[in-house]
Amino acid sequence: MEKKNLIQIMTEKAVAVGTIVHEISSVSDALQYAVDLNKEKNLKTLACPGLDSEDQDRLLDLCNSANLDLLEEPLRNQASSIDTSLTWVNYGIADTGTLMLASDSEEIRIATMLAKIHIAMLPVSKIRLDTGSIEAALNDILKKDSASYTAFITGPSRTADIERVLAIGVHGPVELHLLLIKDMQP
Amino acid sequence: MIKTAQDMKSYKKKIRQALGDSFLRSALDEFNTAYRENRPNVYKDIDFNSLRDIIAENKDSLIPFLEVLFEEFRLNAQKAGAIVHRAKDARQANEIIARIAKENKVKKIIKSKSMTAEETFLNDYLEKQGFIVTETDLGEWIIQLKHEGPSHMVMPAIHLSRYQVGELFEKQTDLKVDAQNIDKLVKVARRELRPRFLEADMGITGANFAIADSGTLGMVTNEGNMRLTTTLPRVHVALVGFDKLVSDLGSALRILKLLPRNATGQAITSYVTWIKGANQSLNTPFGKKEMHVVFLDNGRLSLSKDPLFCTSLRCIRCGACANVCPIYSKVGGHRYGHVYIGAIGLILTLFFHGKDNDRAIVRNCINCQACKEVCPVSIDLPHLIKKTYARVIKEEGKTPVKNFLLAKVMKNRKLFHFILRSAYLAQQPLSKGRPLIRHLPAFLEKDHGFRSLPTIAKIPLRDLWQTLSPKLENPSLRIALFAGCAMDFIYPDHGKDLLKLLKKANIQVDFPLDQTCCGLPAMMAAEEKTAKELAVKNIQAFEAESYDYILTLCASCASHLTHNYEKIFREAKEPAMDLKLFTDKIIDFSSFMDRVYKFPQTDQNMNKQVTYHAPCHLCRGLHVTDEPRALIQKAGYTYVPSKDEDVCCGFGGSYSVDFPEISSEILKKKLDNVEASGADILVTDCPGCVMQLSGGLDKRQSHIKVLHLVELLANKK
Ligand code: SF4
Ligand code: SF4
Repeated sequence: MEKKNLIQIMTEKAVAVGTIVHEISSVSDALQYAVDLNKEKNLKTLACPGLDSEDQDRLLDLCNSANLDLLEEPLRNQASSIDTSLTWVNYGIADTGTLMLASDSEEIRIATMLAKIHIAMLPVSKIRLDTGSIEAALNDILKKDSASYTAFITGPSRTADIERVLAIGVHGPVELHLLLIKDMQP
Repeated sequence: MIKTAQDMKSYKKKIRQALGDSFLRSALDEFNTAYRENRPNVYKDIDFNSLRDIIAENKDSLIPFLEVLFEEFRLNAQKAGAIVHRAKDARQANEIIARIAKENKVKKIIKSKSMTAEETFLNDYLEKQGFIVTETDLGEWIIQLKHEGPSHMVMPAIHLSRYQVGELFEKQTDLKVDAQNIDKLVKVARRELRPRFLEADMGITGANFAIADSGTLGMVTNEGNMRLTTTLPRVHVALVGFDKLVSDLGSALRILKLLPRNATGQAITSYVTWIKGANQSLNTPFGKKEMHVVFLDNGRLSLSKDPLFCTSLRCIRCGACANVCPIYSKVGGHRYGHVYIGAIGLILTLFFHGKDNDRAIVRNCINCQACKEVCPVSIDLPHLIKKTYARVIKEEGKTPVKNFLLAKVMKNRKLFHFILRSAYLAQQPLSKGRPLIRHLPAFLEKDHGFRSLPTIAKIPLRDLWQTLSPKLENPSLRIALFAGCAMDFIYPDHGKDLLKLLKKANIQVDFPLDQTCCGLPAMMAAEEKTAKELAVKNIQAFEAESYDYILTLCASCASHLTHNYEKIFREAKEPAMDLKLFTDKIIDFSSFMDRVYKFPQTDQNMNKQVTYHAPCHLCRGLHVTDEPRALIQKAGYTYVPSKDEDVCCGFGGSYSVDFPEISSEILKKKLDNVEASGADILVTDCPGCVMQLSGGLDKRQSHIKVLHLVELLANKK
């Protein structure tokens, strides 16, 4: 019951800030979604840092048959040519529609910051109600002696710096897609 | 380069220019209204007032320990590979950053938005050292192209229209730009700035939080440029004020609940980023970034020890104190701050940028309390502004003439009242027997002629009292009247109406004759000694223990007596005898009539539409909002709301004389709204507002009558 509510809240709040949300049933669907979206938008390239090698291989096959370019790491030298990135995110924060993404890896950062479209995958079991309920998890990261880079992402990049008119996609992704993966356990 | 007026003459000139800028005027007016209208929606799921008090308390508990928190932060951040510096002033901060740049053979620098870097004028410094610096926040880039400082802390380019931005972009890109289309303008920035991110050697950011127990920086942003700034270049320097230190993540997350809501009406910004230490960077030999955090003192640590001004360090730079300020919305940020803008800017300018830059701007506060009401960390901004003004005067070492006169006249009640009585005779040639003076002598008419002025009554209320208010045998209540100067000398009729009402309920009303001005005008002029002496005199004049209530029909007096007397004695560290007894008995007219008198509902229909103006010191000073509106209806009138009822009328006592050009603009908007309501009568419950509003409507030759609530209630039959 609670889980159902969390998904609803997460979806509602994410949509309210301009995130495009879909519930899907497996990682394969997510891979397919990424490829289809690229085709539909007439885009050429994909990056998928952080996916396990099996999923990367499957995505590569899909890309090949769809005539898309799956970018190889390091992404830094191809920074200008990333159309779409597909990554996992660690948590969803339902009451603001926020995604938490541990982005220590530079590949993840570059992919999620420079892509035109960021597609985020989140197992529904990782949705929490509010920042209070991820505080401990975030603190575990921050309290380690090592460096870390953790992002809360809520919707696409936006600005209202000209005449207070909202405009989307000023420096970061123009679109944020959230794929809620239903029956995946952590 | 920022040039803030350093004397009144050039300040006035800049104000006049701003008032003539039609884009600025409409943009900021709309912003002010939209921001206030959106607030209830933004806070519908959150208890703003209790959360802000918790945050303020938490901040206060940390402020004395900023250096301890700094050491803790340093240790933790160093463990993760960051290098932490402290800079005692702006110059040192800039030098440290330039040194880091040189040591790392940096040529090109990109920046994301940082008010702290604006504070130190970092860009100017780095450019003089030969570095190429590009601002990447859209608003900051625009003002960098325009060679200006920010005009708002959150929206730095809010003073510019899309066409002005378009022109700047055309000059920058040598391409034709479709300025009508803001989306396209934004894409110009995306396209132009992308390569700069990729080429840059160093990124400079600010931070919203420095979390001591983990050595983490927290950054709250929307555009995504900060993320690129901290990721693409090999060196990252964060410039952070000591005041950004918090003890733990929980404190930061709590602030995060209010900061975006208060700043931009968002529950959270697009990006909140937590950065600790030297993160991975694949374009460096060791695979890690060079990461520096520079903490800026620049007066903060000494502020943290100041019992009064330490609260200014609570500020989380949300910008809301500008958003709601009626004066900011008229004159714009470049006339309402030096680097820091809005109410907090009037204060911090003295401490960060010196008295010369604060001298003129600090006087431009009408004390409407709007900023205090929305501050997410409960800073008593209007009070601190006056305290800042007092410091400026002290640092200047010479008393302004106005203060000299105020002290001389106000401290001597008999002299003060003698002058008021003489004014009755002096005004005769101008008033021509009317209760309002519509035309002033020519040399005054131009600036001050926006409203008719009230005349001084022939006989003040105090002289009439004995005949008006005989001793009652067995009164149901005993009330002492605190008349306030305006009722006593300008509106004695309000006193007569009051007695008419109270007699019916067998209430004894006394007028202690030694009472004098409440002292608010002295406090507004930062004439603190005089304000205190007047407080002492008034407390002595009222034998509070003999009365059930001390009633005043002036909202400003009521709020001053209730709140400021306590502050005056606390800050002077002089406990005043009977202070609490006195202040506890103060009651404003609306509260009294509603709660104590229990003004009955009439079944008569007065067939008149009444709109209301909420005096600043009643609705925000005393949080009395429902009572006056209920009373209007109980008296048989139809209450018709007008837009922005709780926005200042522009009076502010001597403010309207010192800044008539602004006062008249605020009044104009108020009266436009009043007229649009379709009301026959405008009611308010402060004689100062009555003066301003009736003066303005008289000048417009409007049919709308302005009444003090007491007049409406007394004359209902
Ligand atoms: S009290 Fe009113 S006029 Fe003064 S700074 Fe605050 S909002 Fe502006
Ligand atoms: S003083 Fe308060 S309202 Fe003004 S910017 Fe600071 S936190 Fe915001």
